[in-house]
Amino acid sequence: MTNDANWDVVIVGAGAGGAAAAYGLCQQGVSVLLLDAGPQFDPTTDYPLTGSDWDTRDFPEKAGSVGAVTFAPGQKLIGDEPLLVSGSRGLGRLVTDGTRLMEKYKHVRGIGGTTLHFTGESHRIHPDAMKMKTRFGVGADWPIDYAELEPFYMRAEELIGVAGPQTQGARWRSRGFPLPPHPLSYAAQTLGRGAAALGLDWQANSRAALSLPRNGRPSCNYCGACNKGCPRGDKGSADVTFVAAALATGRCIVRPDSPVLRIEAGTNDRVAAVLVGRPDGSIERIVSPTLILACGAVETPRLLLASDGLANESGEVGRNFMDTLGVIVGAMHPEPQHGRRGLPDDAICWDYNAPDAVPGVIGGCRFYNACGESELKGLAGFALRAAEGWGRAHAQSVRHLWGHALSVGALGEKLPNRNSQVRLDPDKHDRFGIPLARISSWLDESDLARLRFMAAKSRELLAASGAADIFESYSSWDWFGATHVFGTCRMGADPATSVIDADGRSHRWHNLWIADASVFPSSGGGEAPSLTIHALSLRTAEKIRKAG
Amino acid sequence: MKRRGFIALLGALSLGGAAALWRNLVSFGRPHSSAHIAETVKAVTEMMFPGDGLPGATELGIHDRIIAMTSLQALMADGVVWLDARAVRQGTPNFLALDEVGKQAAIEEAFKSSDNAAREFVRTIRFHAGLAYYSEPVVEAAFPYTGPPQPEGFADFQNPPE
Repeated sequence: MTNDANWDVVIVGAGAGGAAAAYGLCQQGVSVLLLDAGPQFDPTTDYPLTGSDWDTRDFPEKAGSVGAVTFAPGQKLIGDEPLLVSGSRGLGRLVTDGTRLMEKYKHVRGIGGTTLHFTGESHRIHPDAMKMKTRFGVGADWPIDYAELEPFYMRAEELIGVAGPQTQGARWRSRGFPLPPHPLSYAAQTLGRGAAALGLDWQANSRAALSLPRNGRPSCNYCGACNKGCPRGDKGSADVTFVAAALATGRCIVRPDSPVLRIEAGTNDRVAAVLVGRPDGSIERIVSPTLILACGAVETPRLLLASDGLANESGEVGRNFMDTLGVIVGAMHPEPQHGRRGLPDDAICWDYNAPDAVPGVIGGCRFYNACGESELKGLAGFALRAAEGWGRAHAQSVRHLWGHALSVGALGEKLPNRNSQVRLDPDKHDRFGIPLARISSWLDESDLARLRFMAAKSRELLAASGAADIFESYSSWDWFGATHVFGTCRMGADPATSVIDADGRSHRWHNLWIADASVFPSSGGGEAPSLTIHALSLRTAEKIRKAG
Repeated sequence: MKRRGFIALLGALSLGGAAALWRNLVSFGRPHSSAHIAETVKAVTEMMFPGDGLPGATELGIHDRIIAMTSLQALMADGVVWLDARAVRQGTPNFLALDEVGKQAAIEEAFKSSDNAAREFVRTIRFHAGLAYYSEPVVEAAFPYTGPPQPEGFADFQNPPE
């Protein structure tokens, strides 16, 4: 790849997709400029997790690490949904105005992207979930199948050091996981007894956290705070895995604090350059012999739409937006559990993950130990949410109940619909004058049916585990607060209905590729997407190399 | 949904919708001095988090932190107006003049009130005072497994809690 630039490929976004693509390219001898709008975090100073105020802090926000978005008005909440109403005993109902709360798109800008605060579940998508249209008559098919992705899953898992069990049902493997599974926490064991009573398979979750030291990284010490950032480096976030490995090749330049504002089209159906905002407000033009967009399912379509609708020949850029359906239910167990101890999401039930596994509705889901993710790790959150009232009675309740909470979570498939999309906000702009992304999310009846099943089964699992005293429940029915989002630059074989082809390349623009979850034609049945993003990106890197 | 930010979210709600509304509705004619408002907020904080064997919230100075929150000024002023008006209807000069049982009943009623100002005032005080109180090292030290995640982590994570 010869050109006038000092790099062969420019990648926009240094998260799960961009970092893996950078590594995949560098490993093949290709030079890369890896740009990110956000900063470089320093785990030892930005999230040491050693301070006494740890429990009231979320993952830190640094200058440029939070991109602004806007939301279309939330969906009107229709009917009585007692299983889906969000709220807690201590704080009451979350939403009282009859409209779905569009709270937040939980996205991190920075080197490592959203993997910096992800829990670190490391999942392969269910093979059948890649064929939703042909197998089940809904949504869209992936233009590739599981077998095509499997070698790239293996490569990603090896680099990350994924720890997992021997088998995961339909997710067949050509080799075992690189590391043995993590032992289950005490709370997960309690839930496991409930799952066994219900006949559910409750197994160790596959996790991007080291169960043994590997490549200079220590093993996990089970602090339970993955979502606040991992200061040790045992969590396999993209900064300590793919970015580090790309840098080690000597062929990667990483530039934080470099938001790409616009893509400049060239001649002969090729993109020419990107315009990058500098901290001082000036704009820099960077030549892009080959360009990969990896900004996620909100920012990637925003960038394309803000570049005069580049690559939107199909009209599908920004459409087919899918967020993940979620439920969390918390209940008190008679015995203390102290579920903050251990790896969050350490145990999982895949029994309802296949697209046809949930009775009466297409689209799967999965259940997991949510004790570590429910934000009840700290005393303050627990006291406010789990214990009702105030005064001496409240103090006594907190003392009596502290450590008794168990939480079960469920994540499920969201099918695409025409009302869920990412567009440009007509009124709101960033400091460079680029329109913000405006998110619309709409739940169809099938989504609600899946949510009801998830909520009911979560309660059933808690009760079977001895925790029937429910003190809180939150769901996507009345609350949008998504991290896992998909679909807005769908991959497909037909240029009329998709944005990129099966290799990850724009149907029209020969040197424009996309490597993030925006390309997913379906969301899967609640699987965490990062590993699939990694695998797709490694595959795309290989396709780029072969394309010359 | 991904499952973080409950605390931040609920704090934002307490500060957001309600406070904005009241600023518009009652930005005039607040009769009380800031000293009276501060004393009343202190009394409410004390009632809500009395300690029960541990230092109470006011002993730890939690009320001062709430009173200093500029974004809560209108909300606090309006809440105090409501509490005092209720006390006057019961024949006492103001909320501070009530005995402990009377204060307790007033706060209970505020939580259940259909009046936004009353309800959001006590909910907001509960939220901020509770968050601060149960984050105090001296309070956390009275509970097991409340220390920071690092550097030790939890070696006993597979076992029953001690």
